[in-house]
Amino acid sequence: MGADGSIHAASPFPRCVKVRALTDVTSETLRRWRESRGWDVPRMARELRRAARDSGEDVAAHHGLVKMIPRWERGDRAPRERYRLLYLRVFQDALGDLSHGMALGTDVALRLAEVRARAAGLPGPGEIRALEAAALAKPGKPVTPAEIRALAAEAIAHLNVVAGKLMELSALLGDEPGEGKP
Amino acid sequence: MTARDDEIRRVVAELDAHVAEVEARVAALKALLADDEVPEEENPC
Repeated sequence: MGADGSIHAASPFPRCVKVRALTDVTSETLRRWRESRGWDVPRMARELRRAARDSGEDVAAHHGLVKMIPRWERGDRAPRERYRLLYLRVFQDALGDLSHGMALGTDVALRLAEVRARAAGLPGPGEIRALEAAALAKPGKPVTPAEIRALAAEAIAHLNVVAGKLMELSALLGDEPGEGKP
Repeated sequence: MTARDDEIRRVVAELDAHVAEVEARVAALKALLADDEVPEEENPC
């Protein structure tokens, strides 16, 4: 436990992980979107090409996209706007009301979809409790049981806020109530 | 920009922050379960 009474000082990585989660958005978003569908890279390439074909656009050949997608997902290169817009089309359900998202601007629509995808990927309270129990049971841990319990309790408290914010967002966007997880 | 757009931006920002809080704590719990003290992919910062 830190001098300020927070759990952060004693936790192994929270600040590091948090910084990465907040800054590495675009590449992480693209990867998460793809993985949320269970698609491998070649499938993602096919979906992008299909979206382009449906709107009469020319895009890179399949093998070219198969090379580019991992670079975008690693953050080595940023996709050009045409490809960002294709991603929006492919994942428009994750965006909710795409027309409203587009009215907000591409960057906000992307961020909205990214945050929703991250929220959907969070473990539920039961999974967090299971992690807590496993951590408590593990010998030789570098933090105290109280700190482990505090970590889990804080995670669940924030998870509850996430659920509320998702509902608030759905209401603002006119989504079906109860959409998303947790 | 409408008041509704501003509200959406605000809620998205708040949601982002709380999701990050959950992610950080879950990552910390998982790190405690890892065999190695500092997992390779968690180390670069």
